[in-house]
Amino acid sequence: MDIILGIRVQDATIIATSKAATRGISILKDTDDKTRELNAHNLIAYTGEAGDTVQFAEYVQANIQLYSMRENDIELSPLATASFVRNQLATSIRSRKPYQVNCLIAGYDTKKDQPTLNWIDYLGTQVELPYGAHGYAGFYTTSLLDKHYRKDMVVDDGLKLLKLCLKELETRMPIDFKGVYVKVVDKDGIRSVELD
Amino acid sequence: MNTISQRFTHANTNDVANEINTVHDSLSHKQTLELAPSISVPPISQPTDFLRAHTDDASNPDCKIKIAHGTTTLAFRFQGGIIVAVDSRATAGNWIASQTVNKVIRINPFLLGTMAGGAADCQYWETWLGTQCRLHELREKERISVAAASKILSNLVYEYKGMGLSMGTMVCGHTKKEGPAIYYVDSDGTRLKGDLFCVGSGQTFAYGVLDSEYKWDLTVEEALYLGKRSILAATHRDAYSGGSINLYHINEQGWTYHGNHNVGDVFWDIRDQEQSFVNVDG
Amino acid sequence: MSRRYDSRTTIFSPEGRLYQVEYAQEAISMAGTAIGILSSEGVVLACEKKVTSKLLDNDGSAEKLYIINDNMICAVAGMTADASILVNNARINAQSYLKTYNEQIPCEILIKRVCDVKQGYTQHGGLRPFGVSFLYAGYDDRYQFQLFTSNPSGNYSGWKATSIGANNSAAQTLLKKDYKDDLTLKEACELAIKVLSKTMDASNINSEKLEFATLSLSKVEEGKVIHKIWNDTDVNALIQDSGVLNDKSTEDD
Repeated sequence: MDIILGIRVQDATIIATSKAATRGISILKDTDDKTRELNAHNLIAYTGEAGDTVQFAEYVQANIQLYSMRENDIELSPLATASFVRNQLATSIRSRKPYQVNCLIAGYDTKKDQPTLNWIDYLGTQVELPYGAHGYAGFYTTSLLDKHYRKDMVVDDGLKLLKLCLKELETRMPIDFKGVYVKVVDKDGIRSVELD
Repeated sequence: MNTISQRFTHANTNDVANEINTVHDSLSHKQTLELAPSISVPPISQPTDFLRAHTDDASNPDCKIKIAHGTTTLAFRFQGGIIVAVDSRATAGNWIASQTVNKVIRINPFLLGTMAGGAADCQYWETWLGTQCRLHELREKERISVAAASKILSNLVYEYKGMGLSMGTMVCGHTKKEGPAIYYVDSDGTRLKGDLFCVGSGQTFAYGVLDSEYKWDLTVEEALYLGKRSILAATHRDAYSGGSINLYHINEQGWTYHGNHNVGDVFWDIRDQEQSFVNVDG
Repeated sequence: MSRRYDSRTTIFSPEGRLYQVEYAQEAISMAGTAIGILSSEGVVLACEKKVTSKLLDNDGSAEKLYIINDNMICAVAGMTADASILVNNARINAQSYLKTYNEQIPCEILIKRVCDVKQGYTQHGGLRPFGVSFLYAGYDDRYQFQLFTSNPSGNYSGWKATSIGANNSAAQTLLKKDYKDDLTLKEACELAIKVLSKTMDASNINSEKLEFATLSLSKVEEGKVIHKIWNDTDVNALIQDSGVLNDKSTEDD
């Protein structure tokens, strides 16, 4: 029931993740951050099997930071990052105990001056999308995004569209997801945004 | 594959797994050379499925081994440090195995671990965690942080994920750099930092009381009472929780034990004092 | 003195040297010359072919130039058999990086990986080092065109123009004299011919004794790298254009 949403606009990619950490019938935490910073311009947001998610995200984070350490602080591009993550999941699904993790990777390609959003599932499917979601959030929001998304939108338009999606989720989702953390990845890096 | 385990695992819904297992079975029945040396192995193809079939009474109500599961444990952070409160009942199926179980493990003078889920798993791995923390202390000449201690445990249980471990624990402690800190760690591999957690079959009842009365500014006395009262609420409504209440307080001086309180006595005291539990005669 | 230490690759001599590694480097300095020149438009690699027999029946493909991937080529000096092992390793590494990251491997990363293999053979016992030096020409979007050399010890370095193999110091002196930063690819090719014509033993230079390759960017498709291993006619035409034959004939007069 976790919510993971991503919207790519002209100058940035926006990620929203629900704050609730649920185990069984109890919400154990309402300030859970379901993202990890992979490097200065790449952010991974994840959902899936408890335990697997954090272990996988931190494993990928460590490897991507290791790359930068070895290569004189050169950052892996968003496409390379997403391909690496896909490759890990594709290897994992063929192993004895696969990671059951779905993720979105928000990135900003500083060379091409382009924001990107990559959608990857636990089977190792990878697609570059203008907007995407994992889990139930997608059922409520994709139609909204299909209707209102425009190619020339900028961050503020994107945040407005995100608010529209969240309003719909709050009215229709059967359980409280305790709001969302919103993060923006643009040319200056990753930053948190408070929605009013 | 073992027929009992086959009936009570997810494998019977998976055609591919079935096919693989059939092949395994047919291979294992192939004739053996009488003079060739061999090693005896248990007649099970999937030990994890086998364990689940015999211990998980959710999927097999007739299972012969009932692991001790029912519990209520809680811990919360407040102005004066941390309160840890737990019940002391151990159940195996519907059988009350013990009323005097110690569900708080004293990892070191500044760290406590709570036990919920499989009693043996918690006891074993939390004492093991104690040795890891001591080794850290000897190597680094510094007490381990709560964050690091809880991560050692969560990484450990993650290695055993899917192999039948059952634990729900809170690692609570105080260090100079972190202040008071609580981490929830369970056998799924989840590890969460937080101010307030209740764990076990009685968690919902404990949350009910605790959430409604909890404030950051509680005095130590108020906080100890609230911890005790929340466990009492759970022991009253959850059949698998009961016995007595063990209370702990943690601050910068380390933990202090605030006694063992028999639920039978505490209940009547509190009923009289609060004029609550009015549905209970006596 | 050296006798007791030089047969072991892994053991330092009392003077702190690894003789086997030095011998390997010595072997290379007798192999055919290879030179590389970097220009803003691309990189040129040129090698001297040592074995030229009329009876040799090969398919005309280059023996000292290898394509590593879409972005890199290399020239070899030293033992060709050893080289083919390392080239194969480099090709696999390049493909595996492409598979993982969906991007061409940056030149330096690939060179580093091949050099790590070379280094391993100077340290782990019972094996001899690889008797090969490489000239790598490559392109990536981090540093554009690049030229590197590597030697049997596992060291590598980047250059604007350099040479390996026989007479490499003479070639380097010539390059130092004539290299300019704003060379076009054509000028770089001609410079390569000029330098080779002076360092090679043979009196007259022709396509039979030369192997020639260039790396440049496509004018049609952005970011596409073109590597070309030249055929005999093109090489002969270049030799003609470079004017080395005329120089020779005037000297003869």
